[in-house]
Amino acid sequence: MKRSRLARIAAVAAAVALAASGCTGTEQKSGPGTDGRIAYLDYGDFGGGSNPQANYNPYLDASRLGATEYVFEQLITYDNYGCQAKPWLATEWTWTDPQTLVWKLRQGVKWNDGKPFSADDVAFTYDMLKQHKALDTKGIWRYLSAVEATDPQTVTMRFAQPGAAAFTLFGEIKIVPKHVWSAVGDPVTFPNPEKPVGTGPFTVKAFNPQQLTLGRNADYWQADKVKVDELRFHKADGGGQIDQLKLSRGEYDTNAMFVPDIKKAYVDRDPENNKYWFPSGGSISVYMNLTKAPFNDTAFRKALVPAFNRQEIVDKAQLGYVKPASQTGLVVPGQAEWLPKDIPSQGVAGYDAARADADLTAAGYPKNGAGKRVGKDGKPIAFSFRVPGAWTDWVQAQRIIVANLTSLGFTVRAETPTPEAYENDRAIGNYDMLLGVHGGSCNMFRNFQEPLASDQSAPIGKKAVSNFVRWTDPRTDQLIDTLRTATDEAGQKAAVADLTRVMTEQVPVIPLWYGAKWFQYRTAKATGWPSEENPYAAPSDNLLIITNLRPTGTNAK
Amino acid sequence: MAYFARRFVFFLGTLWAAVTLNFLIPRLQPGDPAEAIVSRLAGQSESVDPAQVQAVRIMLGAPDGNLFEQYLQYLGAVLHGDFGVSYTYFPYSVTHMIGQALPWTVILVGVTQIISFIVGTLLGTWAAYRRNSRVDSVITLGSTFLGTLPFFWLALLLIYVFAITLRWFPERGGYGGGSSPGWSWIFISDAFQHSVLPAVALLITGPIGWIIGMRNNMVQSLGEDHARLAVARGLPRRRIALTYGARIAILPNVTGFAIALGSVLGGTVLVETVFNYPGMGRLLLESVSSRDYPLMQAIFLFTTVGVLVANFLADLLYGFLDPRVRKAETA
Repeated sequence: MKRSRLARIAAVAAAVALAASGCTGTEQKSGPGTDGRIAYLDYGDFGGGSNPQANYNPYLDASRLGATEYVFEQLITYDNYGCQAKPWLATEWTWTDPQTLVWKLRQGVKWNDGKPFSADDVAFTYDMLKQHKALDTKGIWRYLSAVEATDPQTVTMRFAQPGAAAFTLFGEIKIVPKHVWSAVGDPVTFPNPEKPVGTGPFTVKAFNPQQLTLGRNADYWQADKVKVDELRFHKADGGGQIDQLKLSRGEYDTNAMFVPDIKKAYVDRDPENNKYWFPSGGSISVYMNLTKAPFNDTAFRKALVPAFNRQEIVDKAQLGYVKPASQTGLVVPGQAEWLPKDIPSQGVAGYDAARADADLTAAGYPKNGAGKRVGKDGKPIAFSFRVPGAWTDWVQAQRIIVANLTSLGFTVRAETPTPEAYENDRAIGNYDMLLGVHGGSCNMFRNFQEPLASDQSAPIGKKAVSNFVRWTDPRTDQLIDTLRTATDEAGQKAAVADLTRVMTEQVPVIPLWYGAKWFQYRTAKATGWPSEENPYAAPSDNLLIITNLRPTGTNAK
Repeated sequence: MAYFARRFVFFLGTLWAAVTLNFLIPRLQPGDPAEAIVSRLAGQSESVDPAQVQAVRIMLGAPDGNLFEQYLQYLGAVLHGDFGVSYTYFPYSVTHMIGQALPWTVILVGVTQIISFIVGTLLGTWAAYRRNSRVDSVITLGSTFLGTLPFFWLALLLIYVFAITLRWFPERGGYGGGSSPGWSWIFISDAFQHSVLPAVALLITGPIGWIIGMRNNMVQSLGEDHARLAVARGLPRRRIALTYGARIAILPNVTGFAIALGSVLGGTVLVETVFNYPGMGRLLLESVSSRDYPLMQAIFLFTTVGVLVANFLADLLYGFLDPRVRKAETA
């Protein structure tokens, strides 16, 4: 018996000794790389689940690794913050008529295996998405009718109907080399695991499920703009405690994660270098079931707009990281130029319970003797308000929303189902009131068509595609159709302006706050990250960011 | 022989039931995997693109035929060892994913289970041999106390002290980013370092069940007539304890041990999650949370078959070790 205890102690001691001896870390020195470049930058997660597999198929959104963003490129790159298209593999594009778009391709671009890039590759890529619908994740072939290589530098796209509204979708398709992908049996099940061939600024250098290393492509067509020799992505635990600790220790040069109390946990650890910027994403809105009374009454919905304390939600439930949302459905200030000039304060409604009370009473929903708000049938108005129980920040927001509504005399049941039940009930219209997300993209057609078009709706009991409130309004449909077929920006802007008026005057949904795009960055090694002061790109616009980074200490551009 | 034949028929019946349940349960769950995948990609604060959902739905493919035809297809595929393509790791197959995760779990959990069983049985025997002494109180009270501590708390404490404060061991993962899996010394020593904290966490709580079980069984068997007779005949205490007490007391623990080894395949979800260990437990958790039905089904099936086979082997061994059982069933 004594022996067993001794053996155990010995084993533990040996383990500790072995581990300690192996623990002498081999930290590589960081410093400027060759030719005034940065030797490497540490990035956060690279996707592909908890046990990622080599997968560089740029169309398999669910399982591909983040490297595809740097290996493959597209005809244009969007600045998804300001919604500006930047020439990329294409240098210019012209609509010869509303249904024909001609792209001029950049000269001198090479695939990273040395072969030249040409219009054949572009036409091949788009055709492949036509033949394999599983790869068409943006649904571009809903709009396209043909893509042809007119000559080696020219690609002509033809559309079934005027195609300008879908521009942001089909311009951002990752282009793959014909000489590799035409030899692949089934591109849907092709993980492209060995040395993926692309035109991008980086190539895959090393990969294991814990770390993905990308190396600079010295033959890149704008190689002089890429000042980073190596990108190292590190497998994370989904933004858990340990990742937050690593972030606060400065082990990431950039990351995109939620951090509670970011000032104390991150910025204060190194105020000089640790920075963050959380630009706005989609609108998170109160969705009312428009097939039910009183939500089917426009005057009722309009009266509710000032009923919610958006600032309190932003400060208490969202830690002040986000901004109150505009009733117009647009993301302000990023998309402010799409707003009609006469909309006050960019459409962001303030909190005014007294006005909501007066408007509700005027609309025929007075309070009764017991202080309960009653409907047109004279009975007190009672309904449920749901958010997924697992989404704690939404649950916090739910408390504030329910308190706001209760103070107006409504009887509100706060419910917290599972996310699955929530999504299912929302899709089939089995709810009174809940929260939904819409908009936020640079494609104005998508931003309004998805939540408001009647063809995205369905009868109660059937799954709606994305119009969960079941807004059916011929004028809205007509405006969305105008937006879809508008051939120039002026025409698109006129349609969007009218759609923002539908949002403010008929109130199909009530936006409360914008979801945040998480983005942390350090300026110890690199500067030139997008920020509130210099918002040249959204945090996810990897190609724009990597071509703007400069070693710290050198003059920007 | 009848005993063994009966055990075998029982084994086949349970196996069929398990396979069938495994087929049915995911199909009874609500929810669309394509939607789940895309909304997870978009995150909670971004709108879900219906075009993307549609593309993923086409990618995953819809099952053909009615439920019964699907069931027959499933049985055929399972017999051929074909578990399909994982949804979350598309286009990699379920077999490929399990092949990667299995060694981690088998080594970590397997080794600690065996050590836990040996240590636990020895400590339990010792406690029963010296029952009511100070050694007995220390072992029994100590393990009861440790057993009441929540496992994840213990694991987090280990991470906090040894990985974050002292920085002796890495805080998570099965290996570092610098080395790639393979038979190199660098990788093996790296993997060993990463395995120390999870192994310690498992070894602190692992032996407790065996200690308590062994001690109680043995105290009971030492109180029986044959043991009292041995004492009366003046046999040495140590011999009574080992041959009259421990040998009988260990029998229920053998079954327990076999089942524990069988369930190794399912991994230890908690320990692998806390330490972010790349084994079966974490794979299972991930497949359940992202509704990766093919992967989920295969892991459940592996676990069930593992437990059933282990149970069957334990039954056989039990009948062999303890003639009373064999006779009782044939009589």
